[in-house]
Amino acid sequence: MGQQKAYQERNLGLKAFSALVYLFLYAPIVILVIFSFNQSKLNVVWQGFTLKWYEIAWRDIAVIQSVRVSLVVALLSTIFSTVLGTLGALALTRYELRLRAFYDTLFYLPVIIPEIVIGFATVIFFGLIGFKLGISSIVIAHVAFSVSYVVFVVRARLVGMDRSLEEASMDLGANELQTFFRVTLPLLMPGIISASLLVFTISLDDYVITSFVAGSNATTLPLQIYSMVKTGVTPEINAISSVLLVVTIVLVYLSHQLQREQPPKSALAIVVLVTILLGSFAVGGVTTNNQTRQLNLYIWSNYASAEMLKKFEERYNVKVRVDLYDSNEALLAKLQTGLVDYDLIVPSDYMVSILIKQNLLQPIDRDSLPNLANLDTRFLALPFDPENRYSIPYTWGTTGIGYRKDKINGNFDSWSVLWDEKYKDRIALLDDVREVFGAALKKQGLSLNVTDSNQIAKTANLLKEQKSLVKVYDSATFAELLLSGDAYLVQGYSGQIGKAMAENPNIAYFIPKEGATIWTDNICIPKGAPNSDLAVLFINFILDPQISGENTNITAYSTPNKAAKEFIKPEILNNPALFPSDESLKNCEFIKDVGSAIQTYDRYWTEIKSE
Amino acid sequence: MKPPITEHITNFYYKRVKAQKLTLLGPVILWLGLFFICPITVMLLYSFASRGEYGGVEYIFGLWNYLQSFNTLYLMIYWRSIWIAGLTTIVCLLVSYPVAYFIALKVDKKWKSILLILAVVPFWTSFLIRTYAWMMLLRTEGLLNSLLLKLHIIDTPFKMLYTDWAVLIGLIYGELPFMILPLYASLEKLDTRLLEAAMDLGANRIKTFLKVTVPLSKVGIITGIILVFIPSLGAFVTPDVLGGAKSIMIGNLIQNQFVQRNQPFGAALSFLLTALVLILLWIGLRAGVKVEEK
Repeated sequence: MGQQKAYQERNLGLKAFSALVYLFLYAPIVILVIFSFNQSKLNVVWQGFTLKWYEIAWRDIAVIQSVRVSLVVALLSTIFSTVLGTLGALALTRYELRLRAFYDTLFYLPVIIPEIVIGFATVIFFGLIGFKLGISSIVIAHVAFSVSYVVFVVRARLVGMDRSLEEASMDLGANELQTFFRVTLPLLMPGIISASLLVFTISLDDYVITSFVAGSNATTLPLQIYSMVKTGVTPEINAISSVLLVVTIVLVYLSHQLQREQPPKSALAIVVLVTILLGSFAVGGVTTNNQTRQLNLYIWSNYASAEMLKKFEERYNVKVRVDLYDSNEALLAKLQTGLVDYDLIVPSDYMVSILIKQNLLQPIDRDSLPNLANLDTRFLALPFDPENRYSIPYTWGTTGIGYRKDKINGNFDSWSVLWDEKYKDRIALLDDVREVFGAALKKQGLSLNVTDSNQIAKTANLLKEQKSLVKVYDSATFAELLLSGDAYLVQGYSGQIGKAMAENPNIAYFIPKEGATIWTDNICIPKGAPNSDLAVLFINFILDPQISGENTNITAYSTPNKAAKEFIKPEILNNPALFPSDESLKNCEFIKDVGSAIQTYDRYWTEIKSE
Repeated sequence: MKPPITEHITNFYYKRVKAQKLTLLGPVILWLGLFFICPITVMLLYSFASRGEYGGVEYIFGLWNYLQSFNTLYLMIYWRSIWIAGLTTIVCLLVSYPVAYFIALKVDKKWKSILLILAVVPFWTSFLIRTYAWMMLLRTEGLLNSLLLKLHIIDTPFKMLYTDWAVLIGLIYGELPFMILPLYASLEKLDTRLLEAAMDLGANRIKTFLKVTVPLSKVGIITGIILVFIPSLGAFVTPDVLGGAKSIMIGNLIQNQFVQRNQPFGAALSFLLTALVLILLWIGLRAGVKVEEK
């Protein structure tokens, strides 16, 4: 009796500990779900209950489509990896192999080599063999790096597995295949299920490799989310995630119920059914209608509103397909492969000059763009493309300082406020070598694009002195930091800070008197675009004052379209972060490619970050 | 001396085994060879090349990328990364083992798969969004601090976010299922009669656990360690988001090279990391074999 009780107590301890671990696993998930009902646009402060994000997500074709693509990719990758990996694990454990050490190393490599290298290498290789990027290229890459996980997990199950049952089966007259399917496979099932869960998890949420090998019509949910983060994540993503969570949990519960009443066969049946259902939902979104012509847009998230695209589709009877990227470098890597068929891209200023030098853009016929006259001439003939042969400005902004009026008072107009001891641990900087060095260079009255190594070294020392005051280097959440009050002074992009100002009137923005970074994102046609005539049509369309103004009202990014101003809502037009005075822009500069001096910058940046 | 007929059978048997090996191992080796080894070989070549002016690659070969990697600045970063990844792995193992043990051996069969899937479900939401949720929990003005202040456990808010501790929590959180699943796969087949036998033979619980349970789940433990240690070593999003990008790890270093379009140096750093991990693995596995021999 006493022993029984002690035994139960031990199990209780184990149970309590496991419960705690599950609590740890679900704590952030609970937060995520709660904030999907938050009124505020930003995941920071609770402002009241709403269901609007669910409605928005439900209507957001791009997000729904990305969920579908992700499911297709994850399901296919799981099936391929599980079959290939299980067979491989059987070979490794059941047979004498001469090259065992070689195979072991081979299976370790995909796990060891950093994802970014695999991604980059794979896309170069696809370029060499001329394999078009799309969903299949993602699946191929996912299988290549996740099959090892299956080998490991299934092997862990196989090693030391009791073989007497298999022998008995053979003795009783079953042949090898029958024994495999009736005895070995069921015994292996727990291992196979663990492995396939692992692969599904990895594939569904992979970002790094996918961002390299994804092609047209293949924006997965992680790509969508990372891109949205760059322009401000809204609780819409929380809403989508919550729905997916509820669906999975219901499915798990259902399969459990079925498992109870009948032998596992029905559980298998429901797994198959669910797979088919998910699969058909997913595939339903992938097949495209080839009747009408299609314009392929490769763009930042939240840059082209769904309303604007719909208008274009209706007016010209074409279909617009959108894929998203989240960095200029990802865009460059994609274009260099020559494997994508985009008609329009929107690179930033310095990237335009790189793309021109690499001969990756095609000239735009300016005679077909009567609406070009609507643009503010200040944004034409910029140094990266002096004749606007290849690029037309689409949005613009500055990198200045956002601050909390209610938390700090005082008149400051210089970058040196970011070096003020008073604000220790309340300062946030961008996580971007050129922007951070840019702030320190401007503080000294120098150019952003200094290439002299002595000047760079001196600037690095300034930044090292400043580091103890800095709370965080972050390029994505600086607006949230201001809103939550964790930081009082942040270096940030005008677009996001403008949005934060609309949320909280205590937030303000200024461009330091020494000047700051000014940037433009520009619409370009890549070389070899299959529908360049449609692309030109589209460029002229978005230069229309009304179209441009309405789009600005939704995306809240500054437009260089002067004629559009009469269509822009006053609260956006009068936001000093979005449309600053000419005076404050006087000393602003574009970031230019500094050639090999970037290596000097980067070395000092690493030094600053590793202290 | 063998009669000819048996020799014939043996021959036939060997051919058969060879065919079986080929069917089992062939597809996966082919896939990896074509879609993994080929690309990586290209990358290995790149690691000896130099950075082009506009970030392409110039085919001038040399060892400079590797020599550059042995700078003390970078060595410090490697050391820091190994330390953090090691700590993550140990905590993951200590936390996961009881959970995997509980699911595999102490739970009704019908609950097993449920608990297992529930351990993975959180990971079907975006990693980035989960990491942001942790940010909200750990902020100075965040939920955990507000809760602790309200309960009067602390007087002033803790600085949790943007510290090494936050990085550690984030890494442990992200890697837990990679430890739980292989441990479960390995513990689930454990024959509990062996444990009873050990107890009957007079071993106490701790001894039984250390001498029977642990050795029998060795493969699961090793698999888990590998699956957790390696990704933590190369992590870069967690140190950025939860650590505030203030103290970088190898993963950030490599990532930066690709962002700054210096792919050859990034490739060289990656292959050094790969070599480092292979060496650590080899040492670890050898140590494991030695322990077993005792």
